[in-house]
Amino acid sequence: MQDTNLRPRRSDGKNNRSLFRRTIFLMAVLGVGIFLPLVYRLYQLQIVEQEDWERRAATQQTRSISVPANRGTIYDREGRAMAMSATVYKLILSPRGVVGSIDKEKYKDKEKNLDETAYEKALYDLRETIVDGIVDLFGYDEERLWTRIERTSSGYEVLYYELEEEDAEKARQFIGENRLSGALQLTPSSKRYYPFSSIGSHVLGYMGQTESSGENMVGKDGIEALYEGALSGELGRVVTSKNGWGQEMISGYEMYFDAQNGYDVHLTIDERIQAMLEQTLAEGIETYDVQAGAFGLAIDPQTGAVLAMASSPDFDPNNWGVLLSEALQEQVEQVKTEEGDDAADAAWKEAWNKQMRNRVLKETYEPGSVFKPITVAIGLEEGVISLDSTYNCSGSKKFPGVEKPINCHKKGGHGQQNLTKAVGNSCNVALMNIAEEIGPEITWKYWQDFGLMEKTGIDLSGEEKGIFWTEEHFKSINASLELATSSFGQRFKVTPLEMITAFAAVINGGHLLQPYVVQSITDGDGNTTFYHETVEVRQVISESTSEKMRGILESVVANDSGHNASQIGYRIGGKTGTSELLDRKNEPGYNKDVMCSFMGFAPADDPRVLVLVVYDTPKRSSVGSSYTAGGTYISGGNIAAPMAGALIANILDYMGIEKQYSADELAGAAAPMPYVVGSELTVAKGAVQSAGFECRTVGTGNVVTHQVPAAGVSIPGGSNVILYLGEEAPDGQVATPDLEGLSPAAAKTKLEEQGLFMRATGVVDYTDSSVVMAAQSVDAGTMVTPGTVIEVRFVSDIEYGDHA
Amino acid sequence: MARKAKRDLTIEQKLARGPIDLPFLALVMLLTAVGLIMVLSASYASAMLNLTPKVTDTGGDPLYYFKRQFGFAMLGVGAMFVISKIDYQHFRWMSVFALGGSIVLMALVFVPGIGRSGGGALRWVSIFGIRFQPSEIAKVGVIMFFSAGLSKRTGQVGPPKKWSKRTFTGRMAARLDRVGLLELIPYGLVLAVVLGIIAMQHHMSAMVLIVVAAASVLFASGISLGWFAAGGALVSGALVWIITQTEYMTERVTIWRDPFSDPKGDGFQPIQSMTSIGSGGLLGVGLGNSRQKYAFLPEEHNDYIFAIVCEELGMVGACVIIALFALLIIRGFWLALHARDRFGTLLIVGITSLTAFQTFFNIGVVTNFLPPTGISLPFFSYGGTALAIQLAEMGMVLSVSRQIAAPRAE
Repeated sequence: MQDTNLRPRRSDGKNNRSLFRRTIFLMAVLGVGIFLPLVYRLYQLQIVEQEDWERRAATQQTRSISVPANRGTIYDREGRAMAMSATVYKLILSPRGVVGSIDKEKYKDKEKNLDETAYEKALYDLRETIVDGIVDLFGYDEERLWTRIERTSSGYEVLYYELEEEDAEKARQFIGENRLSGALQLTPSSKRYYPFSSIGSHVLGYMGQTESSGENMVGKDGIEALYEGALSGELGRVVTSKNGWGQEMISGYEMYFDAQNGYDVHLTIDERIQAMLEQTLAEGIETYDVQAGAFGLAIDPQTGAVLAMASSPDFDPNNWGVLLSEALQEQVEQVKTEEGDDAADAAWKEAWNKQMRNRVLKETYEPGSVFKPITVAIGLEEGVISLDSTYNCSGSKKFPGVEKPINCHKKGGHGQQNLTKAVGNSCNVALMNIAEEIGPEITWKYWQDFGLMEKTGIDLSGEEKGIFWTEEHFKSINASLELATSSFGQRFKVTPLEMITAFAAVINGGHLLQPYVVQSITDGDGNTTFYHETVEVRQVISESTSEKMRGILESVVANDSGHNASQIGYRIGGKTGTSELLDRKNEPGYNKDVMCSFMGFAPADDPRVLVLVVYDTPKRSSVGSSYTAGGTYISGGNIAAPMAGALIANILDYMGIEKQYSADELAGAAAPMPYVVGSELTVAKGAVQSAGFECRTVGTGNVVTHQVPAAGVSIPGGSNVILYLGEEAPDGQVATPDLEGLSPAAAKTKLEEQGLFMRATGVVDYTDSSVVMAAQSVDAGTMVTPGTVIEVRFVSDIEYGDHA
Repeated sequence: MARKAKRDLTIEQKLARGPIDLPFLALVMLLTAVGLIMVLSASYASAMLNLTPKVTDTGGDPLYYFKRQFGFAMLGVGAMFVISKIDYQHFRWMSVFALGGSIVLMALVFVPGIGRSGGGALRWVSIFGIRFQPSEIAKVGVIMFFSAGLSKRTGQVGPPKKWSKRTFTGRMAARLDRVGLLELIPYGLVLAVVLGIIAMQHHMSAMVLIVVAAASVLFASGISLGWFAAGGALVSGALVWIITQTEYMTERVTIWRDPFSDPKGDGFQPIQSMTSIGSGGLLGVGLGNSRQKYAFLPEEHNDYIFAIVCEELGMVGACVIIALFALLIIRGFWLALHARDRFGTLLIVGITSLTAFQTFFNIGVVTNFLPPTGISLPFFSYGGTALAIQLAEMGMVLSVSRQIAAPRAE
């Protein structure tokens, strides 16, 4: 039946084999082959690249809200909190949220057409509710709030940064009552408080925003800035999940990463001593009409720990955006009335910069005669001079090739003097001779050793360092004048901090110490993570030289130019200085401007505190006058020394260092009045005298009926108490007499005539006729009860020339 | 309707009552069940959030998609059993109506009032409230038609056609017949008509699937490999030309290679898909715990449902599901190999290949192994009618399986 014409067809069997083979092939390819690349692809995505994708997923699926960490507290050396944080709240308005909280659907009819008027009305009403509420509650500027609430593209308008808990509660209630959670939000943040306001402000620094910190507050300046890392802690986070629309997912997971609280910083600063120092600066500025501010330091010369550091004018870290000092405010006001607003703005900025500036370490000054002990110490250490060296001062010293000689501040000259007296007299000629003997090479080496040419390395930012001639110039033969002036601390500059550190080395046995303000850092559990051990940079002079220097400097205060710093009961050593400010010669208002300074320490045999007080430019009563308007001779010895002396006595009192009295002083030491009422006169007299008092009697009789002062009142030894014999003690009060210009003896007599007693402070020397009353604790004319103890401060009115 | 007693049945009818292939049925049911669960999990969020109210307003019912899919799955399983009962020899004549009907339905897409647009193109018709893509039916139609035709390539009854050797046309025709082109012409014409209409719907993915399914049937039926080489070369050449010469395609390929070049635009979908897959890791985040489904990954219950599978079940779960697909396909081909006749073989080859390619393209796109095309994942992707049609196709495979002779008991 097969036709030869038939097409050659493959047989059924062959065809079926082909079908079988091809189906098997398809089975292998489609059943297995195609899935291999897919599984490999899954392996790539889910195993190899898994972390990348997971991170990407986490980033888009979660929202991380930061939880502020509590900032650490800054304590003073006695554990008083000087800077602390508390929770406050940020009130945030979302204008977009305001729009969003009105359901547009409600204002649509069935055809989905929006009823514009009704919708706008509802929006306006809601805004009005918010604006009225905020204005009522917190007094926000209504117009401004309207502007802000209409910025509908914004979702984040911070209305208040620091609402206290009380106000936050009000806001919370307002939000709750009016269902405004979509429009207003409260988020906790932290606020810094400085309980002692301006005290220690320059050391503490302040909190503010920087370019990099954004809205967060970070420490600016001072400890707050330098220890930002330790204080700030680590932000915590709340991670919540969100959907692709950015909405929080109710059922989503939440994760909390606890905020790690900041560490506490413990300062070496003592708030009380700091306050005393600042008070001393302020009083001096007031009393002597000081023009350009003041600065001071108190350190522990044995360790380098800074007990107090102040620069005036200063600021209140709680509110650092304003001028704190009234004097500065007045200056700006004056510029405003005289030169207009633009000039006032510039003046304000300048004044603000001034108040923010810690001159103790950020500025240099010419130390003047306070520097003399350094020169003397170098001479003694090198053996080129000794305590027995004598110097003749004729009033000036001439230098070869220089026409004008360099004058000593005493025109007639100090005559013949030994080393101690030369320092006591602050004799420039003697110092120039000493420097000449030492020579520039050694001088330069010691300056380096005293750390004057480098930063002290204190743990505060912005420290400057001394400005000197070039080494090459100073050591050349052309520099004899430079060597001469440098011997008394002029024509070069150091920071007050460098000066006090070097001075500490002079009196503490020769150890140059690194000054510091942070004693320790503790974590939240009180574990100490850092403790400052005293860092000795180097030994500069020997202990024996240092001992000699202490003796010389004690003598300066006991007998000579530093006498106004002397305090009964304390052995104080120190050196005065009056540095000329020749670099301000061309400034307007220059009037022989000087800085009056005093560097003092006590007790002289074992210094526990070293103090530097500098007043910049006490105002002269007239051009070229040597006196302030109050009649005080303008010099370190007459202006800075009495202030610093009182400060040292206060600090020593506070530190609980016992007073040591000489026999004379002991007689004047305070003692309690015994009870003698009812005693026979002879018995009473004996009791009074054995307590160290003298007495006078009023009336006649044999039995004491009244006594002034009452028993137990502490009055100075040698006071003349009053015993009444049968007579009534006068009930009434008496007027406090005016003691102006009186010597201690005269003042005592005048007070005792009124039944008042005197506690003398300052320079109490009944034999020295130059000592006069400087201040009395109760103003003249004030009515007081008899028996009141009036504190009277005396100073020597000798004109202590120590002008370099 | 009373069942005929067994003794009254013809041999043919007896055969058609044979047992269905249980492994294949089990795999189908398993995939359908897992697919339903995954639709529930993947669509839960978007249904609740009512993400696309303009396309499908779920009214915030989180089970909206699941309920519908479940309904269609029931319908599909029912259809599968009914179809499996049909003697598949009837599919031979039905194929003409299936193909013709689908062509008519596809034409109806362009009739206003019946045609519905979706995704920017007219692909849908809505009849009696049921929305579906006629191209889904066209796929089956083409497979049935090709299988029916090609099963008769050999062993036909009657003499072969004679070509006149005297005329040029006759000699040409004879030559063409000899190389096998002539027999391809009717299939080519059918394919051209179907693809032409689908091209008018801009339905690239359906075209691809129909072409590969038809090619599989042609391949299995023993068409000379030369034609496949020629066809493959033609298609590749065309693809290269399109990709390099048209800006639109070049850009798409660029984004496919590096989705991060346009992370907010066309790169968004692949990035989100890979993020889902990658964040699943080895073991996944757990069933129902996908976070990407919360409005991050678009199309998460449709074409990209497998990304959610990978995220929730991890690589292990994804591989298990891939293995189920592979087993289904292998079992399908096993049934094809054992089918009673060529028609049964080719029918199963066509349907199984379609399923295989669809799975491959879908997972390939989801993992960014292939450039994006809108191909859904069988049994998984949301789409009721598509699922029902898929199950009906499985019913056809099962129908063929009934007539496989049971292995002789040894």
